[in-house]
Amino acid sequence: MTHQLEVRNLSKQFSSPGGPFRRARVMHAVNDVSFDLPKGRVIGVVGESGCGKSTLARLILRLIEPTTGTLHFEGQDLRAKSAAEMRRLRADMQMVFQDPYSAIDPRYTVARAVMEPFEVQGRKPQGSAAEEVDKLLSMVGLNPGLAGSYPHQISGGQKQRVGIARALALRPSLLVLDEPTASLDVSVQAQIISLLEQLRDDLGLTYLFISHDLSLVRYFCDEILVMYLGRVVEALPDTGLAARHPYTKTLMDSTFAPDPAQRRVIAPLEGEVPSPFNLPPGCAFADRCPQASDLCRTQTPELAARDGHAVACHHPL
Amino acid sequence: MLEVSNLEVAFGPVAPLSGVSFALDKGETLGIVGESGSGKSLTAMSVMGLLPLSGGRITAGSIVFDGQELTTLSEPAYRRLRGGRIGLITQNPMTSLDPLQKIGPQVDKVAVLHLGMTAREARARTVEILGTLRIPEPALICERYPHQMSGGMKQRIVIAMALAADPDVLVADEPTTALDVTVQAQIIRLLDDLVKERDLSLVLITHDMSVVAQTCDKVVVMYAGRAIEHGPVGAIFGAPQHPYTQALIGCIPKGLGQDEQLTGIPGTVPTVLNYPKGCPFHPRCPRAQGICATDRPAHVTQGDSAVACHFPGERA
Amino acid sequence: MTSMTGTAARAMAGFGNTSLGRAFGSWLGKIAGGFLILLVLVAIFAPWITPFDYAAQDLMNGNAPPGWPHLLGTDQFGRDVLSRVIYGARTSLSVSATAIAISIAVGMTLGAAAGYFGGLFERAVMTVVDLTWSFPDILIALIFVAIIGPGLTSTTFAIAIAYLAQFTRLTRAQIVRLKRETFIEATINLGAKPRHILQYHLLPNAIAPVIVVGMLAIGDGIVLEATLGFFGLGAQPPTPSWGAMMSSGTAQLFLSPWVIIFPGVVVAVTVIAVNLFGDELIRALDIRDRIRGA
Repeated sequence: MTHQLEVRNLSKQFSSPGGPFRRARVMHAVNDVSFDLPKGRVIGVVGESGCGKSTLARLILRLIEPTTGTLHFEGQDLRAKSAAEMRRLRADMQMVFQDPYSAIDPRYTVARAVMEPFEVQGRKPQGSAAEEVDKLLSMVGLNPGLAGSYPHQISGGQKQRVGIARALALRPSLLVLDEPTASLDVSVQAQIISLLEQLRDDLGLTYLFISHDLSLVRYFCDEILVMYLGRVVEALPDTGLAARHPYTKTLMDSTFAPDPAQRRVIAPLEGEVPSPFNLPPGCAFADRCPQASDLCRTQTPELAARDGHAVACHHPL
Repeated sequence: MLEVSNLEVAFGPVAPLSGVSFALDKGETLGIVGESGSGKSLTAMSVMGLLPLSGGRITAGSIVFDGQELTTLSEPAYRRLRGGRIGLITQNPMTSLDPLQKIGPQVDKVAVLHLGMTAREARARTVEILGTLRIPEPALICERYPHQMSGGMKQRIVIAMALAADPDVLVADEPTTALDVTVQAQIIRLLDDLVKERDLSLVLITHDMSVVAQTCDKVVVMYAGRAIEHGPVGAIFGAPQHPYTQALIGCIPKGLGQDEQLTGIPGTVPTVLNYPKGCPFHPRCPRAQGICATDRPAHVTQGDSAVACHFPGERA
Repeated sequence: MTSMTGTAARAMAGFGNTSLGRAFGSWLGKIAGGFLILLVLVAIFAPWITPFDYAAQDLMNGNAPPGWPHLLGTDQFGRDVLSRVIYGARTSLSVSATAIAISIAVGMTLGAAAGYFGGLFERAVMTVVDLTWSFPDILIALIFVAIIGPGLTSTTFAIAIAYLAQFTRLTRAQIVRLKRETFIEATINLGAKPRHILQYHLLPNAIAPVIVVGMLAIGDGIVLEATLGFFGLGAQPPTPSWGAMMSSGTAQLFLSPWVIIFPGVVVAVTVIAVNLFGDELIRALDIRDRIRGA
């Protein structure tokens, strides 16, 4: 069986050239990431700011060109595709963006925004344009009466629904969701999440869900990749599993339940995420890790699996 | 320590806040929770006496702090209180520090201003406070500029400034929203410890019900400028009476796995300019009836809790 | 596809109407805008409203003070000052507007290409464009006069080059800012070609500030045209131009001050009106930050 998406050893380095007043620097935004996304599954990528999760999303869609690594989408080698082939393929792999407020051209009406995919790909919808607009808006739970509205006339949640309708217009098979609810209110976030769940079931979509919110990822996804400073430090094949990487454990302990009866004792964790520039040798989490040994500070741990549960740690829990 | 009753605020003809009441004792943490445009930050600004800055004014109700009525207080008197006995922690640590000034002088200033200390005494105090906030090498940090520090560290500095004048009440407006999850947990832990060690009263303004559940003793749930339900956290989370509170809790994943279903609340969050008449929640409420669209529900008190709903009760 | 462009045209018309409408909203906007509309109408209908032929000489009646039948008097050759001021509006407005139109067309193309493609191309374009900015306007005009001789063509090109840098820089700044917006990334991800992105998203969103700055530049262009005319580098006799009229009036400054005063007043009032209306337009379009950011 071919997977929807196969990612192997994907890396991206951003380098800023030096000049008379600054040093040349290399940032390892994404470092040696590999995973398979089976058809119909939802994989969540979770991590804090600067961990490379948004860069990973853009690398997979080749919105940013990877430095090294391979990408296979439905068995096709994406990195071997020409610009024109890639443009056609984009119809099958779409993205929903974090910021609904700037995700629609302020000069476009809702109708024009959701029809733009057809225009761009030179395709015709099955029925008339007006029918298609109605169909797409109804599909994402929007009143078709909003078709003539401009972005500034609708709410953030409605804008995000327009963003989803636009992404679904060409009936893609893969949807990359880059923090689709991070800038929305809680009550609206839940609406969007349940809409995405319903769309997955109705249309048989495969999702890659990027988020900083572990409880949301655990709720929404089938598998979880935990990223820290550009690397996948743990891959949980099931959202109910306990953490084996100390960082995942910290992340879980930092996530609170909406129930005063389940209060946590927050263990102090010193330090913060180091700069992705000029990474220290060894495990990137070593400086903050209570389990860290000398080995951790010199040698980078490889991602090793046991029963499908992979962890990159010299001293897993 | 702090008692707000029936607070009403107006900006010209717009009334973004009305009927907000709560009370806070020494050593207690009160959460004010709500979505965007619910008036939670405005409540904090009212308590801090900062409304006139943005052209708003208190039109009704009272704010009593340690036996003193604040709504009629003169601005010079308020200035002594603000930053002195009432400390403020703002949402964005990136912008609440002066980028051109070293950390030390910025924190010192508070003690010089409010406690009448000399520069030397103030610096000693700053170093001590930074130490209690678990900032490594506080004396060295005093010589740094804000841009040389991480977001979490900056938020600690802002907390240090709020603590410098030894306040009785801390008002924290979304203190962790701009921070990463693990850093958020550290700041929450820090605030918790401060409340316990110094017997502080903390007003924690947040959009995050989970943070309230983790840290607060009492909670005020706000919607569209109204405090729709308030009481002890145990009661509010255990047996919420207002349909909005129930729905809001239902919007957050609880980590129950497959059995769970998030529903969301239909419709959109109202903004100040289109607060609905009657009960502000009625357009999105599953229980709404005719009366909800016309009559504003009064607060019904039940033990330590109160709810503003025509049809209160646990979820059917 | 036709319905698409139809929708766009309607949207644009609605957009323009409302912002223009709002610019006319204040009394300042009404006065300034009203004056400019009047000026354009006067320039267009000059042959029908001038009381005399602008070139007709009446040497017996030279340097006549304002009165009847020469409302604004006559110059040393007995030519009607009012008629010449009216025809001068034609020259000034058309030269300035043509020059700015050329400047915008070239500047937007260069700026958009530089902003969109970036890299070495951007550096090369911006260096050349900045070079044109570092020359004094008069010097540029002199170069054109030296090459193609004095006249309105030289003036037009000189003004066009003098403002080229402004429009290139402004457009480039808009494009660079817009490129970071999510909707551009989203449209690229739909499989759109660069041409689609530029034509339907970047340029339409960048155009408003360029138009407003262009409007303000027309005012400056009128001053520059008058300056060049004053030095004899612009319009050649007997073509009336406000600058040339003032220049010829200097000889009889004390004998017949009206020859220099009236064109001078019209230049000043026009430039003030253009700037006031431009400010109202900036306010109405809410683009103050974007213009300053360039």
